[in-house]
Order: sequence, then C-alpha cells, then structure tokens
Amino acid sequence: MALPISLRSSVTPPELELIASEQLIEIIPLISMDKTAFISGAYGPLRPPAKCKLPIWMATNLKLKKKCHIVPPDWLSVDFLQDRLTRETSQLEFCAMPFRFAEIAKIVLDVASDDLENPDKIRSLLKDLREARQAKSREGITKLDHSELSLPNLCSMEINEIRPFFIRSMGVLTQLTRHPAPADGA
Amino acid sequence: MDEDYYSIDSILAENQKIQCTFKVEIPDMGHLDGGSERDIKPLSKMQIPLWMAYILIYSDYADFSIPAPFNARVRNALNAEARSVRLSGLVGQGGSWYGFGKMIVRLLDDAPADEISKVLTKTFRDRLLEVIDQAQHFAALGAGGGSASGDGAQMFREGLESMERELFVLAQESAKRTKRWYETTDKSVK
Repeated sequence: MALPISLRSSVTPPELELIASEQLIEIIPLISMDKTAFISGAYGPLRPPAKCKLPIWMATNLKLKKKCHIVPPDWLSVDFLQDRLTRETSQLEFCAMPFRFAEIAKIVLDVASDDLENPDKIRSLLKDLREARQAKSREGITKLDHSELSLPNLCSMEINEIRPFFIRSMGVLTQLTRHPAPADGA
Repeated sequence: MDEDYYSIDSILAENQKIQCTFKVEIPDMGHLDGGSERDIKPLSKMQIPLWMAYILIYSDYADFSIPAPFNARVRNALNAEARSVRLSGLVGQGGSWYGFGKMIVRLLDDAPADEISKVLTKTFRDRLLEVIDQAQHFAALGAGGGSASGDGAQMFREGLESMERELFVLAQESAKRTKRWYETTDKSVK
C-alpha cells in the first residue's frame, strides 16, 4: 500500500475531529444571513438574537470571526460532567457519553471558551473523565480473547486510540488458540 | 506468523532448529550434521531447521522433541511469572517465540498441542498488559524522555518478543497521536 504507515492502522484524531464537525450545534448569531444551501444541507436563516442550529465547522468559523456565540451542548457543563465523573469512578462500566464528546468538547473549548461557564473546571473534569475511562479500557486488555470484546459506551476517540493494538492482539490470539470454535471453554 | 505463504514473519519463524531423531537410515546425507559421517544412521540426533523438519516428520523419517524454548523449565517459569521471562532470549535475535510455538503446535497431536497452545495464549495475555502499559508510558514521556522506571521495566522491554515489539510500537504510536491531538489547539480562522 502507498499509504504512510501512520495512516494504515486507524483513522487519525484530526480526521475524527473533522467528522465530528458535521454535527449540529446551537449558536446565537451576531449577524444576519439568509438561508444558505450547502452540500450537507441548508442552514439558516440567521436572525439575531434568535438561536439557530448549524454544523460545528460553520459555527467555529463564525465564532472565530466573532460573528456568533456558541451555545454549549447540555453535557458540556460542570454539573453534568461532575455527575458523570462520580459515576465513572464508582461503577465498573463506562457511563454513557455522547459518542463524539471528546472531539466536540475540544473544539468548543478551543474556540469558544468564553461562551462556557468555568471552562477551566470543565477542562480538568474532562481530563479526569478521560483518565478514569482510560483506566477502564486498560482493564479491557486483560479480558481480551480471540473472538469477541465488548466495551459498551466507549467513545469514538477512545476506540480509535486502542484500536490498532487491540485488533492486532486479537489477531495474534486467534493464531495462538488452537480451536477457534468454543471447545476449550476458557 | 500468519499461515500466509508470503508472510515474512512466518518465514522468519521457520528459521528455528528443532532436535530430530531419525528413524531410518538416509544415505549420503551425513553432511547435514556437519559431521564426517557419510550416511545418517537411524537413532542419530540432529538439529534441523523447522522448514525441513516438517517433511521429515510427516513422512515418518524422524521424530522430534519439544524444543528448548518450550520445555518444562521455561513453562514453569512462565507459570510463575510470565513477565519476568525473556522471550527474546529464548529464540535468538529477531526470533518469534509465538510464531515458533504456533508451528510446533501444528506438528503435535491433540493433547500436547492443546497444552502448548494454552501456554502460548496464557503467556501472551499475561504479558500484554505490561507491554501496553510501558508503551503508553513511553508515549506520555514524549520525544527524548528520560529513562523509564526501574530495572524490571528495562529488563522486560529487552525481553520483548518480535510480536510484542510490534504491539508496543502500535500502542505507542497511537497513544502519541492521540496525546498530540489533545494538546494542540488551533484557533486560527481558516
């Protein structure tokens, strides 16, 4: 294959960010604009101060030009994240988060931290959450076997990080196990 | 280590010798042992590369004994603490212990094959967590990071088998990439 090695094993984080940017987010526009057609759909019209839903890539673009405020999603708040962190550290399973929360949270924190309440607290909560979840996916390694692996509620960025070596290890285990069918009851 | 005919890993894994005991006399082949004998006598023992051993064993010209990297001593050590065994030392430079093991499994009958297969699987799983942990630790250190904690960790890394090395690199690269993404911020207007 002609792809560089770094791109063969999985999708890169910036690519995931790009995919997440297609999701819609609410904004409060500061300029008015008629309904405009894009390849992915028609968005608008923008009538300040009415809220409006736009793809994240467009919202960040407007935000960077100071033409809107981003309304952070419900889950991107200290209360919600604090609650999730408590649950994450008290129970064994991963708790449910929006599938692309890591990407969206990062985009919003990067470009629109002034639209958030207490962004520093949110940042540190997200970091704690990430570490708590990483510890759990590390536990997942010990449960690895050749046929299946179930880690429900794992999110896209986390899956992407563990994908290359998880699939390789499962491949190796498939090779080493003598009966790919059940049989040895391990 | 795939069964793939073209797999380099598989070819390299075959580059190991196993001890065979010949059952029949084979004339004019004494030079294989490097000795001065002209013929191979029955019951003579010889170290034969795995790729040649297959045909001898399948055609019942020879028997083989479980090679040293999988003997009882190594297995006991693996049972005691898989992470303190230097797998790389068992199969020589660039050797594949798992690949070698898999080939032995293919040569054996049911019961012993299952046993070796279990040893291989168990060892792999016991060591995997440590491999990944260290890989992520090194990714977190970043470029040119200081030496990692302790001699034990260093010993373990030196003892990594080629397959584990591959996993180490995969995990390290992936962790690095994700870390880089988390740490860079791009606030420019595109």
